[in-house]
Amino acid sequence: MTTFFVVATAAKLVLFLVGIITCGALMVWVERRMSAMIQDRIGPVRANAGPFRLWGLVHIAADGLKMMIKEDFIPRRADKLLHALAPMLAIFPVLVTFAVVPFGPTIDFGHLGSVNHLGPLFEGRWATTLQVAQVDVGLLFVLAIAGTGVVGAVIAGAASDNRYSLLGSLRAASQLVSYEVTLGLSLVGCVLVFGTLRLEDMVLWQHHHTWGVVVQPLGFVLFLAAAIAESKRTPFDLPEGESEIVAGYFVEYSGMKFAAFYLGELMEIGVLACFLAVFFFGGWDVPFLRADGIHLSLPMLGAKFWAMPHWSVVLLQLGAFGLKVCGLIFLQMAIRWTLPRMRYDQLMELGWKAILPLSLANVAVTAVVLHALR
Amino acid sequence: MPYVVKRPERDIWEQSYIPETVRGMGVTLRHFFRNVIGRRDTVTILYPEVQRPYPPRFRGLHRLTQRDDGSPRCTACMCCQTACPAECIHIVAGSYPDGHPLAFVEKYPAEFWIDELRCVFCGLCVEACPCDAIRMDTGLHARPVEARPHLMYERNLLLSITDAKGDVLTANPRKK
Amino acid sequence: MPKLTIDGREIEVEAGVTLIEAARRMGIKTPHFCWHPELSVAANCRMCLVEIEKNPKLQPACQIPAAEGMVVHTENPRVREARRAIMEYLLLNHPVDCPICDQSGECKLQDYYMLYDLKSSRLASEEDKVRKRKHVPFGPHVVYDAERCVMCTRCVRFCAEYVKDPMLCEVHRGDHSEIDVSPDRTLEHGYSLMTAHICPVGALTSRDFRFQCRVWFLKAAETICPGCATGCSACLDHNRGRAFRLRPRVNNAVNRCWLCDDGVLSYRFHNDHRLCSPSLGRGNPQPASWEDALSEAAAALGKTPKAERAAVLSAERTCEENWALIVFAREALGIERFFLAARPDGTADQRLRSADKNPNRAGVRLMLGAEPEPMTALLEAATAGRIRAVIALGAEASAAGVEPSTGLLRLGTVVSIAERTGTLPDAAHVRLPCGSWAQSAGTFVNAKGMAQEFGRAMPLGDGLLDVHEILARLARRLDLSFPYKTAAEVRTAVAGRLPEAGAAGGAP
Repeated sequence: MTTFFVVATAAKLVLFLVGIITCGALMVWVERRMSAMIQDRIGPVRANAGPFRLWGLVHIAADGLKMMIKEDFIPRRADKLLHALAPMLAIFPVLVTFAVVPFGPTIDFGHLGSVNHLGPLFEGRWATTLQVAQVDVGLLFVLAIAGTGVVGAVIAGAASDNRYSLLGSLRAASQLVSYEVTLGLSLVGCVLVFGTLRLEDMVLWQHHHTWGVVVQPLGFVLFLAAAIAESKRTPFDLPEGESEIVAGYFVEYSGMKFAAFYLGELMEIGVLACFLAVFFFGGWDVPFLRADGIHLSLPMLGAKFWAMPHWSVVLLQLGAFGLKVCGLIFLQMAIRWTLPRMRYDQLMELGWKAILPLSLANVAVTAVVLHALR
Repeated sequence: MPYVVKRPERDIWEQSYIPETVRGMGVTLRHFFRNVIGRRDTVTILYPEVQRPYPPRFRGLHRLTQRDDGSPRCTACMCCQTACPAECIHIVAGSYPDGHPLAFVEKYPAEFWIDELRCVFCGLCVEACPCDAIRMDTGLHARPVEARPHLMYERNLLLSITDAKGDVLTANPRKK
Repeated sequence: MPKLTIDGREIEVEAGVTLIEAARRMGIKTPHFCWHPELSVAANCRMCLVEIEKNPKLQPACQIPAAEGMVVHTENPRVREARRAIMEYLLLNHPVDCPICDQSGECKLQDYYMLYDLKSSRLASEEDKVRKRKHVPFGPHVVYDAERCVMCTRCVRFCAEYVKDPMLCEVHRGDHSEIDVSPDRTLEHGYSLMTAHICPVGALTSRDFRFQCRVWFLKAAETICPGCATGCSACLDHNRGRAFRLRPRVNNAVNRCWLCDDGVLSYRFHNDHRLCSPSLGRGNPQPASWEDALSEAAAALGKTPKAERAAVLSAERTCEENWALIVFAREALGIERFFLAARPDGTADQRLRSADKNPNRAGVRLMLGAEPEPMTALLEAATAGRIRAVIALGAEASAAGVEPSTGLLRLGTVVSIAERTGTLPDAAHVRLPCGSWAQSAGTFVNAKGMAQEFGRAMPLGDGLLDVHEILARLARRLDLSFPYKTAAEVRTAVAGRLPEAGAAGGAP
């Protein structure tokens, strides 16, 4: 383990953590402003830094400040330890799954200026892959960690000594467990096609062949539905419900503990957008852009090639990944402000009677087709 | 009598969720993009800076009108107190002593209290007043106060409140 | 016995009964200003004009006696048109100052305007109205407004016929006519407020009631006047715990439909100098809780030997309250000696006023079954030290020729049950507030020996208790027996000792 490896990993880790937490905070603003725009409102634009209102961006700082100053209320008969533990458990899977997201190809700091003929993933003295951890069982790791998300919700509800909390956590638990099945199954098709569990290799397959959404369109839709259900957002926001169970399992949370739940939920959107990009939209892949430059092969003009230096290719691909993630976040938010919430029986019906059989069928058909093609 | 709920009939197109979701998102996104780029359809009024002009008959806080000599027009007839559905008006009548220039009016409000916290701003007191002595043309809102008694408006305060144009006399040409 | 038809219905009345009275017996209300059942007929307001068939002109119903075969119409278009015209005449010069007029709300001009007129004035200008005198004080109790006067002369006839002192008269003519007091006289004959009471409009108003309260806020309750031993029937007008005036209530056995000035003003017994909470200490009373006051009273009474205890009954309070005290004193405290507290005597006349200003002296005598000893006897006994502790009902206690307070101060213990301050509560160690006469239900026996029962006119205020309740609580603290728990039980016990109740009350 070289010094460079340690430094690079630490740098990626810090970069990513800072990035996603900032991103989560920014998404609070995006969510508010976007819903306002959709509903012909202005949204919160009151907070200001002197004369600057920055379209309401200062509200994030104001909210943060408020959350820190607020009384950290713990119900008298609550389980103090579990009550404090629950928000950490809720935010933990979100942060950890980010570790395996390949947000760019390998970058070689020794040859930034030259043209890269080695392909997107290679090894070298000053080279590092733009991914915090390359894990062989990447996908399984993701599913395993994501599965622990329910623990935070259940513990929060059980530790709060509040009936609403308990009901909310029960709803959350059954919803998350139901949709986790589909979440995994809808990705089996991808795994069959890509032939790997390593996320960076999945991206590589799409880089060489075509995007996952093309070969697995049904898988995409199913995964998107299951993923939104996993993130407990509209139309699947049953664990909360002002008129029935108030704020669900985090009724009894305030201050930074509440912020942890709230930010965790928003960052989950970011994580989901990352995985959607990685599984179905080619990750950092830019069409026609190879590691050494742009390859165009059009029927009329024949094959053309423009060589590009290594740094510009990596930069373009990083930008593409960012753009895809932003687009997918936007998609999720648009869905949230479009669809009305489901009834609980409809939620379960959709999960068990529609999405699950469809994802099984998807696996079967994919397997048969792949076998026939071989 | 059992009531049979009519279930909506949905074809396979609607049942498959996806096309309808896309259609719905079309609506939301149309609004979104129209508001972000291009003309704004937002109906929000940023209140303290931008104020919607009040209609001329807006009923604000009460005032008691004065005669030209500064005495209250009110004769303590209690019609407003009688009409008030919120029972927020309390009047104690007094009588002018003999020889007073206004002795021909006989009666005046020695005390006149309006509990603006109880008031529902229905304007019935103004309707009931035979002397145009109580008006709600001040254009003022009940402002936030630190203690309830601060919104118990007393006779002299009510007399000193002006209408929107700064006049303490009646605004009714028939009563001038 | 003439038989006639009024508005299509037949009625048979005694000879001499007027049409307005005959119609009233059938439930038909004929509008009128000047007619009053107790006064002579003037027939000058013309409001009661009715159509009598075969009679070319409309006739005043108040004046025409019923005759055999008459066919009368009281509400046909011709009559209504006549009434509308009368109203227009009456209102022609009326100042329409209802906002400052105390009569508004119970004014016949207002009522009949709504029923028959409902038109705006045809007078070209307000300035054309005849101006007359306003707020002229006629006497200590009554003020006159000539502009509002409809010249019905009820007040003139009342003074002449009932009071037999014709001091009011009409002066001037036509539009300018008004009522005036005879030169060098003031309207001051003990019944002056009745002129304001019978005035159908706002011309004569009570100076006492003037501007105090609009009449539509008042709630009326039937009661008996507590002012003197005559026991006139009355209505008490009150609002929000405050009494405003007494009005006479028709009782042909006692007061017919009148009340004297003192009677009208006796509502003040409810309002003035009230005790609102129990208090302890002689001279410098300190408010106390009921718990403490009752314990103190029980301790003070309990430690005095039986022979040195006495009870003071009150001629101001009802039979029921006095009976409760008599039972408590005899059975619980073993008291033998009963004294009577009463207001001092006043002036009397041939009409309603009695010299005895207490409403229930006869009742106390009936309850005790003997003549109670006078206050002077108590003062003597107290000075001699034969009586040390007294439980007293009522506020006022006069003793002929003696200042009662000095004698009372010699008593070791005075427990006073009263509704307001007075001789007895002022000399007491413990004051236990009860409801005023208006806040109690009970029976007064008047000077003629007539028992008149009346109900609670106003709710018992906060911090007050009924007398029987106070005594029951005292008995509980003394561990003594007191047989009554509710007012109804006291009432039942008292009923047998009262004269025939049939004479009581009267149709309102």
